[in-house]
Amino acid sequence: MDLVTVKGLSKRYGGIVALSEATFSARAGEVHALLGENGAGKSTFIQILSGAVQHDGGSILVDGQDYRPANPDAAQARGIAAVFQELSLIPDLSVEQNIWFRHEPRTFLRTINRAEMRRMTLALLDKYKFPTLRPEQELRRLTLAERQIVEIAKGLAKDPRILILDEATSALPAREAEWLLKLTRQLAAEGRLVIFISHRMAEVRAIADRLTIFRNGSTIAVHEANAVSDNEIVTQMIGRHLDRLYPERIATATDRIALSVKGFSSGSRLSGVDFALREGEVLGVGGLQGHGQRELFQSLFGASKASGSIELWGKPVSIGNPRQALIGKDGIALVPEDRRGQGLLLTKSVRENLTLSVIRRFTENGLLSRQKEAALVKEMVDFLRIKAGTPEQLAGTLSGGNQQKVIFGKMLLTQARVLLLYDPTRGVDVGTKGEIFQLMRNLAAKGYAILFHSSDMPELVHVADRVLVMRNGGIAATLGGERISEASILRAAMLESEAA
Amino acid sequence: MSVAERPVEMAQRPAEMKSARLGIDWRGRALDRAPFLVACLMLALIVAIYGSLQSGVFSLDEINLDTAAAMTLMLAATGQTIVLVRGGIDLSIGGMISLGTVIAATRFTDDPSTVALWALVILAIGFLIGAFNGLLISLLKLQPFLVTLATWSILNGVAMIILPTDGGSVPGWWVSFGYAQLFGLTSPVWMLLALLLFWWWFRATRVGVTIQATGSNEKSAFLSGVSITRVNVITYGLSGLFAAGAALYLTTQTGAGSPTIGKDYILPSVAAAVIGGVSLFGGRGHLAGTLIGAFVLTLIGNLVFVLHVSSYWQPVASGVILLLSVLASSVAEKAARNRVQ
Ligand SMILES: Nc1ncnc2c1ncn2[C@@H]1O[C@H](COP(=O)(O)OP(=O)(O)O)[C@@H](O)[C@H]1O
Ligand SMILES: [Mg+2]
Repeated sequence: MDLVTVKGLSKRYGGIVALSEATFSARAGEVHALLGENGAGKSTFIQILSGAVQHDGGSILVDGQDYRPANPDAAQARGIAAVFQELSLIPDLSVEQNIWFRHEPRTFLRTINRAEMRRMTLALLDKYKFPTLRPEQELRRLTLAERQIVEIAKGLAKDPRILILDEATSALPAREAEWLLKLTRQLAAEGRLVIFISHRMAEVRAIADRLTIFRNGSTIAVHEANAVSDNEIVTQMIGRHLDRLYPERIATATDRIALSVKGFSSGSRLSGVDFALREGEVLGVGGLQGHGQRELFQSLFGASKASGSIELWGKPVSIGNPRQALIGKDGIALVPEDRRGQGLLLTKSVRENLTLSVIRRFTENGLLSRQKEAALVKEMVDFLRIKAGTPEQLAGTLSGGNQQKVIFGKMLLTQARVLLLYDPTRGVDVGTKGEIFQLMRNLAAKGYAILFHSSDMPELVHVADRVLVMRNGGIAATLGGERISEASILRAAMLESEAA
Repeated sequence: MSVAERPVEMAQRPAEMKSARLGIDWRGRALDRAPFLVACLMLALIVAIYGSLQSGVFSLDEINLDTAAAMTLMLAATGQTIVLVRGGIDLSIGGMISLGTVIAATRFTDDPSTVALWALVILAIGFLIGAFNGLLISLLKLQPFLVTLATWSILNGVAMIILPTDGGSVPGWWVSFGYAQLFGLTSPVWMLLALLLFWWWFRATRVGVTIQATGSNEKSAFLSGVSITRVNVITYGLSGLFAAGAALYLTTQTGAGSPTIGKDYILPSVAAAVIGGVSLFGGRGHLAGTLIGAFVLTLIGNLVFVLHVSSYWQPVASGVILLLSVLASSVAEKAARNRVQ
């Protein structure tokens, strides 16, 4: 019998239909993938199942019994736990306090039993072979990947019968992602149901038994995983045939140097990086994770300190803080790694997010011109095809891909023509990915200079004109033209480790 | 492939993550505590100056006296600290303190059982008014600042109606509570210790952690199953309760009621907490810091007195100290943030 059966599930947010008559069913002991474009309603579905929001219509049966959780506690009581896409962690609590939050063991004084909590934490981390985490460390000191792992531990701490993973691999480096995939299979083998959401087809292929495809809030199809091709899945997800993910790569680079970096160093993470980015060029930055890519982007943007020299459009500059980096047509703009944390103000509207950092462009004689602002916002929303009810919709309620588009818009409105894109397609669905690549090439053709890092190697291979391969904080190789391939990138990235 | 056929590979622990920083991050920890340490330093400095100008500063008597002078503020600031850690602010404590003193000054008689009854009534009113604040904030989704500003005004008005001018009285034996001694320490010093003990316990309970967590990130707390309404009711209820306690204590010092006295504690209660390193953004701070902040503010008054300058210098000095602490904590916070990246 099915463990979960969902019929006619509907949910609206004001004028926006997040789910309309969605159906779903899954059995105990299977890994059930939930696929769909950004905005298809996956997270909404998960939030309903886990009690974070309530549905407007339809029915959910768990174990054949009616299920309508009023809050996340009620969901837990029925054995359902979610690893939320937006994470449900508390920055000022420690790792272990987060894992056991509200379920801490207690002493006779009703205080939290720290010794017991530590023991439980270590037992849990050991049981599922978690990557190294330090239980006493405060959450706000952790990287995004580490936080994601804590969120997973928090879900498992409830020993749920149904575990929901909402894009849990998107923030994880390759090895940890692989660990999670194996863990997922293991949990299913223990008889649990794992509902798995991911935009990475290879992962879905590797672990899913069945998959359900959502589009525009409705269920489009349910497949046995081994009975359907990637192409069919993508077509059903986006509702049209996707000819090609990667746009044609027409060389548009000129001889003009947009950004020249020499002897760029920062602590032990970056050492003597030299490169030149040309007008109209998409320059990829690759290599194994954690070899200085993040530091390079952060330092170029002025968000962390570095030494060395930078020239923008031939003029030497010193970039002390992001404001200095941003200013004007000759500036730099960054799409950051953690878009929810650094890039977007989630509680502000799409309009405000777009225009906040460039408010000066809409002022006339010191007064804000609302018309001018509205016109530019509309232009951006149309240009990027941002799917929002109105420009006043809160950024936090947009789907991941649309949030990413807002960040692009914000960046383009600064008028900076040197763009730093740090993993801009992370957690973004295939359809939107294609749009982003096309956008990058279009911008390059207009004379923008783009530095582009991706954790997904094929993206570098297919989108970049040249690729800088980083190793131990320096540039190990610069590959261009025919020499760009996954193999050549990997070889350059690992050469030294092999020799050692 | 069906579920049964698929081979299950046990998950292996991935090699250590590149970013996992092993060893204890001492500098990070020191930066976290910087605001508190700065407060301690300020207190030490003020005590040193005070001690060099006045004899007998380093005595048990002085400790007893200063604690007695600071205790009303300390009680009020304890409630305020809980609210600040929740990420809110409570201005209504001003009204509650005034209301508490006028009820006591008009209802207390020589009969201990009447006093006990009315003391309980005052505490209950404090909790209920606070709980009401919390309820309004959650249900109407209003700013704590606005809601508590309104209740402050209402409570003030009610206090005025009950006792239009300073006056009334409380029994002498009640006043003598304020300087009763046990083992050489007066009751305010024992109350101080009790407050610290309470905090140590409270912060380690689930309720305490939940309040802190909600102040740290409300959305995450909600997703973790926290009822935000309940948290607000408890948080502001406790704040009201401590304000009522402050009022009762205050009557042991003044022997009378005053419908306007409460406003003198609103901003100082916030200032004491901020000087002590409690974050105005919620999630961070400890009562020990607040109590030190309360001492700092109180001793500034003493210092101005022994320096024989106009007493108007007291708010000036308090303001400067507040600015310095805010500066110290923002510098530390920035340094801490840069470390994370
Ligand atoms: N709180 C909200 N307020 C308004 N609209 C929302 C809210 N949450 C989600 N939506 C909208 O509902 C749709 C589905 O979103 P979501 O479930 O997050 O999609 P997915 O997870 O598949 O990317 C999107 O159009 C999104 O903008
Ligand atoms: Mg989602």
